[in-house]
Amino acid sequence: MLVQVLLGGLAQGAILGLIALGFSLVAGTVRVLHFAHGDIVVAAIFVGVLSVLGRIPIVAVLALGSSVLFVLLIVAAGAVLSSLVALIVVLPNLPNLPGRHRHAGDVLGWIAGGLATGLLLREALGLAFPEQAYAIPDPFRFDQLVPGGLVHVPGGGTVQIRSIVVLVIGLGIGLIVEQSLVRSRVGLSMRAVADDPEGAALCGVSARRVVMWAFGVAGVLAGIAGVLAAPARAISVDDGAVLGLAAAAAALLGGLGSLRGALGGGLVVGLLQALAVYTLGPGWYDLAPLALLLVLLALRPPGFRAKTT
Amino acid sequence: MSAVDVAQALWLLLAALGLSVSVSYTGLPVLGQSAYIAVGGYSVGLLGPGGMGLPLGIAAAAAVLMAAVLGYVTALSFSRLDDSYLALATWALAWLAEGVVLAYPAVFGGPEGLTRPVPARLVSHTLGVEIVLTTNVNLVIAALLCILGLAALVRIDKGAVGLDLTALRESAPLAASLGVPVEARRRTALAVTAALGAASGVGSTVLLGVISPSDISPLLSLQLFVAVLIGGARWWGPVLGATILLALPPVADELASAADVSPEHVRGLLTAALLIGVLLLRGPVRRLIRSLRLIAPSRRRPYLGIAEERSRPAHERVELSAADLSVSYSGVQALDDVTIVLRGGEVHALVGPNGSGKSTLLGVLAGDLGRTEIHINGTPHRARRVRDRLLAGVVRTPQRTVILSSLTPAMQVAVGARGGSRLRLAALRQLLATPRSAIEAQRVRAVVAAALRDTGLERVATTDPARLTVGERQMLQVARAIATGASVFLFDETAAGMTGAERERLREVLRRLAASGAAVLIVEHDMRFVGAVANHVYVLDAGRIIATGPPERVRTEPLVREVYLGLDTDLN
Repeated sequence: MLVQVLLGGLAQGAILGLIALGFSLVAGTVRVLHFAHGDIVVAAIFVGVLSVLGRIPIVAVLALGSSVLFVLLIVAAGAVLSSLVALIVVLPNLPNLPGRHRHAGDVLGWIAGGLATGLLLREALGLAFPEQAYAIPDPFRFDQLVPGGLVHVPGGGTVQIRSIVVLVIGLGIGLIVEQSLVRSRVGLSMRAVADDPEGAALCGVSARRVVMWAFGVAGVLAGIAGVLAAPARAISVDDGAVLGLAAAAAALLGGLGSLRGALGGGLVVGLLQALAVYTLGPGWYDLAPLALLLVLLALRPPGFRAKTT
Repeated sequence: MSAVDVAQALWLLLAALGLSVSVSYTGLPVLGQSAYIAVGGYSVGLLGPGGMGLPLGIAAAAAVLMAAVLGYVTALSFSRLDDSYLALATWALAWLAEGVVLAYPAVFGGPEGLTRPVPARLVSHTLGVEIVLTTNVNLVIAALLCILGLAALVRIDKGAVGLDLTALRESAPLAASLGVPVEARRRTALAVTAALGAASGVGSTVLLGVISPSDISPLLSLQLFVAVLIGGARWWGPVLGATILLALPPVADELASAADVSPEHVRGLLTAALLIGVLLLRGPVRRLIRSLRLIAPSRRRPYLGIAEERSRPAHERVELSAADLSVSYSGVQALDDVTIVLRGGEVHALVGPNGSGKSTLLGVLAGDLGRTEIHINGTPHRARRVRDRLLAGVVRTPQRTVILSSLTPAMQVAVGARGGSRLRLAALRQLLATPRSAIEAQRVRAVVAAALRDTGLERVATTDPARLTVGERQMLQVARAIATGASVFLFDETAAGMTGAERERLREVLRRLAASGAAVLIVEHDMRFVGAVANHVYVLDAGRIIATGPPERVRTEPLVREVYLGLDTDLN
């Protein structure tokens, strides 16, 4: 039983890690906390559901074509929504773009803008999906990899094959994205802008493009996380806010701006969540990451380091 | 509108009023007012009649106190954070409150909430009174609390503490450098916010006899946040905001029935639209108001025209010394074994190429960077905060001029004059108009008048700060520093951007400060100005003092010429 709980936690953690990776990427590059990030994950899922299954999704086995479409739509929706947030909410309010002075009004602008976007997504989807929660089919049919969807582990007991596959895929994608950001030119530009936006601008790196890249990659990761997460448990359109806060906890745990840290932080938060639910009750699925976030902020205040002149 | 509706509206206003103390007046992005309302509402439900059975009055007082402590602890834990993280933390708090209430239905009654007998009764057996809290009584209490709260807000804002708050929401680092107790103000503000939120929760729970998760949803936090953003730091701000919030549900219901969708989501959508609208319109509206000069920086209480104008008290000759200072930032040695002595009666100049560590040295001396030990008049001094060093008599001006755009120059100088004061519980004294507070106000006015006169800024004392010239802005920084009553002055490139005539005036001001016994240090690049103003020069290069002495001698030192002027270097 415990093995199953832990493995389920790790699988959820790998998904959280992907979301946290996007959060951390945006925070590290642009010094903006992506308040709508969790809502984008959930919104991407429901955009896919709405397009492929309609307003009343009946759990069914998706045909191959629909599955592919479903996955692509969700990932695309994540990227588009995240880019829109960057374009509409973040870029006009960005504190550290060259030629603009940093002042409090701007910070308030993107905080409130992010919150407003998240709320807008939640409530707009709520109009189309009024039920408490929806069960979403698995486009990959991981459960059918082995008979019954369960594998036996040494020492007795069974675990869901889904958990193992999600854990492996989630971590794999996370590491691939992390490595490609370390090695690519775009990743280099991102680090340049993160270190010194004005210096980077002088070297011909467009801060705006880097912002769009960061939010775009974060959106793609959000979409992938959504595809992996959706079939695990019934989800509601309101889940996004707490999901985003859980990802923020994971990102802070791993050190904001550290991509590998975000993946690791995700695993820890996922485990913590699973253990809290196992020992304290289902209500702790949301409470554990929220409490962790508050403790982290109180004990290890991050703060964007002020530039010293 | 029935009496219940009116009473409920007033409790909502009280919550908005409380939130505006943090958001509008102190500039803290607090997104967790619903959590404090929850603490109030559920505590009184759990402790009071129908719950643990404590008398209602005691239960209500306990609920408000608990929320105030929670608010104070929130601030204690998170107020050091950047604004964005404070927003994140309080937003998480709002979701946590709702989550806790839903996770323990046995305690909090689940989605249905707690139901309590209505009308509630205030009973005291010792006093032999029993008050039935009918709707009308509840309404009167709510109205009284709102009026008291608004009056207190207006009174605080008009007076000296209002100046502190304006300064700290425009630029917290500047406020700190002028001795405003930034952290303490933030903690108090958040405690007041939480207490009023809790009072609102208590009041509406007692009124309706029920508190449920839908009364404390995070959406309410967002709605209240938008509400107080609209009006800003004006007494009618929360009133306007609460009015708009009250208009929201009927409008949403109307729209929802027209479109045949659930009204709950339409309310959410309207809130989001409101938030976006406020954000988009904030800038243009402010510019419009400014261009029409509807709201020039407040001219009330200009802190001028005081009969009794005391001249600057002569200081004992101070001496500040710091030995073997070393500071490094991630591998770069910014200061390397620097020893510096600043003597009263003298003007010292600190020169050196960019990046040589000048600003770092000033930061260390001003108590801004870590708890480095310095000696003031021979006694060791360690500063936990910038304010500690200021109260010990050391003040520093920022290198970039920081102008508080909503305060006239005279009022900005008054911020400095207040910052140097050790008066405790200033807000409470001001609220109660204690004699000490009146004496303090007199002192501040006298100090402001003297500082403006000393710097020659009387002419522009009540001008819109946006119209000051660069030189006047720099001089304003000097005036603010003088008003703190410090005896050691650290000026960072104050002459930058000044015209010849302004430099001449600055030179006079600095010499006069020194003549009164103060120790003055100025960072400066113009060697001619240094020669004219300074008795003593320190030359800093790559974190080391490479020369020190009178300007004429330092100027001829070969090492200085090499580092500073690039002479005598072998370019082969």
